[in-house]
Amino acid sequence: MRVVHYLNQFFAGIGGEDKASTLPASRDGAVGPGRKLASALAAEGHELVATVYCGDDYAASERNAAAEILGLVQEAGAELLVAGPAFGSGRYGIACARVAAAASAAGIPALAAMDPSNPGVPEVAPAIAVNSGEASRHMADALTRMAAAAAVLARGGTPGEAEGVIGGASAGARRNTVSPHTAAERAVLLALSRLAGGKQTEIKLPDFGHVPPAAPIADPREALVAILTEGALVPSGNPDRLESARAKHWFRYPLTGRDTMAAGEFQSVHGGFSTVAANADPNRLLPLDVAREMEASGEIRALHPEYLVTAGNGTAVADATHFGVEWAAELRRAGVQAAILTAT
Amino acid sequence: MAPDTPLARRLERRPGTLRRLIHRVTAARFGDATELQAGTLTASKPELEALMADPALASVGLSWVSPGDSGRIVKVLDAVEPRSKGPSGGAFPGFVSPARIQGRGETHALRGAAVVVAGFLPRAQEALIEMSGPAAELSPLGLTHNLVVEFEPADGAPWENVDAALRRSMLRVAARLADAAAAGVPPDDVEELSTPGPRSGQGPLPRIGAITGLQTQGAFKDVFFYGRSLAGSPPVAIDACEIEDGAIVSGQYGHPALRNPTYVHQNNPVVSALRAADSDTLEFAGLILAPEPVDQGAKELIAAHTARLCAALGWDAAIITKEGGGNADSDNSLKMDALDEVGILGVGLFSEMSGPDGTAPPLVSPPSTATAMVSTGNYDERLQLPAVERAYGAERFALLDVEASAAMEVPTAVVIAALSPLGWGRLTASGADMVST
Repeated sequence: MRVVHYLNQFFAGIGGEDKASTLPASRDGAVGPGRKLASALAAEGHELVATVYCGDDYAASERNAAAEILGLVQEAGAELLVAGPAFGSGRYGIACARVAAAASAAGIPALAAMDPSNPGVPEVAPAIAVNSGEASRHMADALTRMAAAAAVLARGGTPGEAEGVIGGASAGARRNTVSPHTAAERAVLLALSRLAGGKQTEIKLPDFGHVPPAAPIADPREALVAILTEGALVPSGNPDRLESARAKHWFRYPLTGRDTMAAGEFQSVHGGFSTVAANADPNRLLPLDVAREMEASGEIRALHPEYLVTAGNGTAVADATHFGVEWAAELRRAGVQAAILTAT
Repeated sequence: MAPDTPLARRLERRPGTLRRLIHRVTAARFGDATELQAGTLTASKPELEALMADPALASVGLSWVSPGDSGRIVKVLDAVEPRSKGPSGGAFPGFVSPARIQGRGETHALRGAAVVVAGFLPRAQEALIEMSGPAAELSPLGLTHNLVVEFEPADGAPWENVDAALRRSMLRVAARLADAAAAGVPPDDVEELSTPGPRSGQGPLPRIGAITGLQTQGAFKDVFFYGRSLAGSPPVAIDACEIEDGAIVSGQYGHPALRNPTYVHQNNPVVSALRAADSDTLEFAGLILAPEPVDQGAKELIAAHTARLCAALGWDAAIITKEGGGNADSDNSLKMDALDEVGILGVGLFSEMSGPDGTAPPLVSPPSTATAMVSTGNYDERLQLPAVERAYGAERFALLDVEASAAMEVPTAVVIAALSPLGWGRLTASGADMVST
């Protein structure tokens, strides 16, 4: 079977973060980690015919990136697509997920490899997600599992636990169930048990991971600065229907030609706080007035011409992580060096 | 018999016990006179509508909807259980009655009935009650005969005035319905509730109390104690019998499933569970109310004050509850850690926000050192609601912009008190059953 491999710009040997806006492109044969994958596939009688690659920023933030990449995959005559491994990398994981999902939807069996915690995992379906481990030190094992899963797909089968398939919702998922006791009764029982030396709890402490803060920018006077908000500030009438709680979307709106966020032209649709003061002066949610003053006085070089917005109210962590990856990719592509994200 | 001394005569006046007279409501209807007979609660529409007249309200409409009806109430604001102190009055102090000390004597309760206010107010998050189908039993108000109050605000009336008018009206109607039972109908049950006193603390049983967080985040997100917001107050220890007379009234319309309607405060499930175990496996040590402020410094101060108060009252452990979403997780967590610091066990009730598939981290703001937590279920898990014959409260269900009576898929988060932070419900999240840390 003709297999096409998808990689990001780094693993394709194009370059690091400075090349993250690289446009989708294709090469014959295997590249980088694809060589080991190709030999494992060859043992099963399959040929890795081409490698399609793209910069992470472009792939994660350009609306049509997955379709463009799928076009290259189809041009290479793919009968099966393998993407990654992306490990814990958010932009790369989202790209692998979208490319594999698009291929699968187009009738090409596909898999994407990444860590189960990668924000791309929810987007892999209807393709198969394979566990790559969290970092590139797991590369050799990841490629072995990917080749094994690809071989099962090529036979028309469904890869499973043996091939490291990520179980999606079933793996570690918590479902609502009905207890014989009310929560208040269980709390009293838990208190008595703890006072007697027990260690029980019904909720394990969550692990949110750790995000190292970015290094300070050297000189704000040279910086392109973006202003962003999770305060659900949208044009009046909420034309794109941003949710007031449990947001699944984010939007971008232009700031070009504006010196202030005028009352009446913008409104907050956030469902978690009183929006009266924010609507009376939307600058206090998105400080455009002050940002323009700083731009005019040269304290910052320039303001990014759009603002990005979502509603941070009961938002699922997976969705918020996803938004963050997409925002970072979009802002990096635009050359933004610093961003101010207001929260409510 | 205590000796007749000046001190003994003083002690007789102390709060000590409350007799809760339970009148079971098994059917509800409208009729000429407001009365309770053989379990059937009859309401006079003209009488109750007159009680609700207010300059901020253009009109009100009343409907009964009962368990098992093919009905749905949307835009639910608050609900209250009818209660009365009899002819001398006193229920809902600070609203219907003067704010005098309550929680003594006798209180009539209409068990199985509620007055439910439904309609638009700003900042209110879309909330619903199912009267039949799979989601009915997730809410205490899916199991009661509900007198639904719908309303039109008066032209030009400020929303704050509309809110205040609705609250007064709801409470007056609730008191009036229970007055009808108090007027000579024998109760179905009499329950003696004792007030925890300042006991020695030297007995063999652990002293465990309840800490009830009240959300205090301004208009439409506020809770009232004797008619006033608890905002700005340090935590206060109260007589647990006071809540029986409606000393706590909700004006908090955020996060529906994580809301504590007045009805649930009146029937505080943690207090009930502690009373049930009192003198058996524990000593019920009392009830502390704590405001939930908005900023971190104030939250930390409230947590420290609460821990000090528990220590001063000689508690060994506390069951800590909140109201609201992720923001209020931190109120619970900070109190658990502050109690831990002074050697008192805190058990916190939390709902989980694990995403629709239940795989995301469950808490927004977990405790740092304390670890004893009870799960009231996952907020994000989806429910399938069947179409119903009639909807109350509004014609449209705003969250999805569909007909309010339509079949719909909703997060558990929209069903009133379905993940009751006060522990009313039986939901938990699976894999949640008492895992070791």
